[in-house]
Amino acid sequence: MIQNQVIAEGSKLECPRCGHVLYKQRQDTISKTLAYTITALIFFYPAVTESIMTLNMAGFLQQQSLIGGARVLLQEHYYLVAVLTFLSSMLVPLLRLILLFIVTFSLSVNYFHKNLLWFFRLYHHIEEWGMLDVYMLGIIVSVVKLLSMAEIEPGFGLWAYAGLLIASILATTSINPHEVWELLLKRKNQQERCS
Amino acid sequence: MNSMTGKEAGLVLCTECHSIHHYHPDIELQCTCCGAELHQRKPNSLNRTWALLITSMILFIPANVLTIMNVAYFGKDDPSTIIGGVILLIQLGSYSVAFVVFVASVIVPVFKMLGILMILLSLKFKINMSDRQRIKMFRFIEFIGRWSMLDIFVISILAALVNISGVAVITAGSAATAFGCVVVMTMLAASSFDTRLLWDTKPDIVKLPDDHLEPSLKKPVNDHL
Repeated sequence: MIQNQVIAEGSKLECPRCGHVLYKQRQDTISKTLAYTITALIFFYPAVTESIMTLNMAGFLQQQSLIGGARVLLQEHYYLVAVLTFLSSMLVPLLRLILLFIVTFSLSVNYFHKNLLWFFRLYHHIEEWGMLDVYMLGIIVSVVKLLSMAEIEPGFGLWAYAGLLIASILATTSINPHEVWELLLKRKNQQERCS
Repeated sequence: MNSMTGKEAGLVLCTECHSIHHYHPDIELQCTCCGAELHQRKPNSLNRTWALLITSMILFIPANVLTIMNVAYFGKDDPSTIIGGVILLIQLGSYSVAFVVFVASVIVPVFKMLGILMILLSLKFKINMSDRQRIKMFRFIEFIGRWSMLDIFVISILAALVNISGVAVITAGSAATAFGCVVVMTMLAASSFDTRLLWDTKPDIVKLPDDHLEPSLKKPVNDHL
C-alpha cells in the first residue's frame, strides 16, 4: 500500500511491491483520445466491408472482405471459429471504440449520465478480447502462406484496416483511465449536489 | 516484503475504477464511485482458475492431434496439424513467419498453461517464491495470451479467401474449434485469477471494530447509484 501522491507532470509512479506503473502524467488526454477514436470509427466501415485482398490463382480471381470471411465460415458450419473471429476482430473493437467515443465526447462537452460509469467499466472489461493487432499479424501470415500458390493483391480494405488498427492503438494508449475516472466522479458528485 | 497490504489494513480496492474503500466482512459492498461489486479477493478465484486451466489442458490434446486445416489443391487433399503448418512454412523458406506461428500457437499456450499451473501450485503448497517474479510472470502470461489466436485468424482468412472449387479449396479442421477453445479457456483462466492472492501469506481477514468504519459504509451503499 502506498499513499496517494502528487507527482510532477511527465513523471510516473511505480509500485514498490510489484513494479507496476501506477500513474503517469500526460496532457490533453481526453481530446486526443476523442480525435483518435473518431478517426478509428471512420476507418471501421471500409475496413470491414471492403475487400482485404484479391487472390489470383491460375487466372481465377477471388476477393474477400472481413465480414464476408466470417459469413463463409458460418456457411461451412465452423460456428465457433466464425463467432470468435467476428467477435475479436470486429464486434469487440467496434464496441470499445463506441464506448470510448461516448465517454470522451461526454467528458469534453461536460455532459454526465450515470451510465457513463458503467460504459467505462465495460470498456475495460472487454479490453483483452479486442484483437485487431493479432488479426493484422494473421493477415500477414496468410499472405506469406498464399504467396507460394497464388498472386496476392492488397485491397482497399487492408489499408483501411491498417488505419483502423493504428488509430485505435493511439486511442487506447493516449487515454488515462485514472484521469477519466476522476473526471467522471467529479461530474457525478456535481450532479448529485444539484438534484 | 514487510509493508502492509490493503487487506491487512482493512481496505478494499475497486478493481474497476481503482478507488479505495473500507472493508467490512458482513456487508456486501458496492463501489461508491463506479457501482462495481467490491471484493477483497475475487470469490472462488482459485477454483475457477483450476477448472478453466484443466479444461484448456484437456482441449490442447485434440487441438494438436487433429487436423487444423485441409488444403485441397487441384483435387488433392493435404490435411495438416498445427505443427505440420509450421513445418510447411519452414519448407517454404519463410523462417521468420514460421517462428512467429510456432511461438503463437505452440510456445505461448504451453507457457501460459504451465505458468498458471506453477502459480496455482505455489499457492496450494505454499512454496516460497519471489512475489515480484510471480506477478511479473503472470502479467507476461496475461499479455501474450491473446496472441495465440493468430492461428485461428490465419485459418479463417485462408478458408474464406481460398475457395475456388476444382482449383484450391482450404477448409478448417476440427482442431481449429478445439484450439479456439484452448485460447478462450486460458484467457478466462488468467482473468479469473485474482493476483492479490499472491500477497496473502496470512489467510485470515483482518477484522476491524465497527467504529473504524465510515458511517456511510455501515449500511449497504446501493442507494448511491
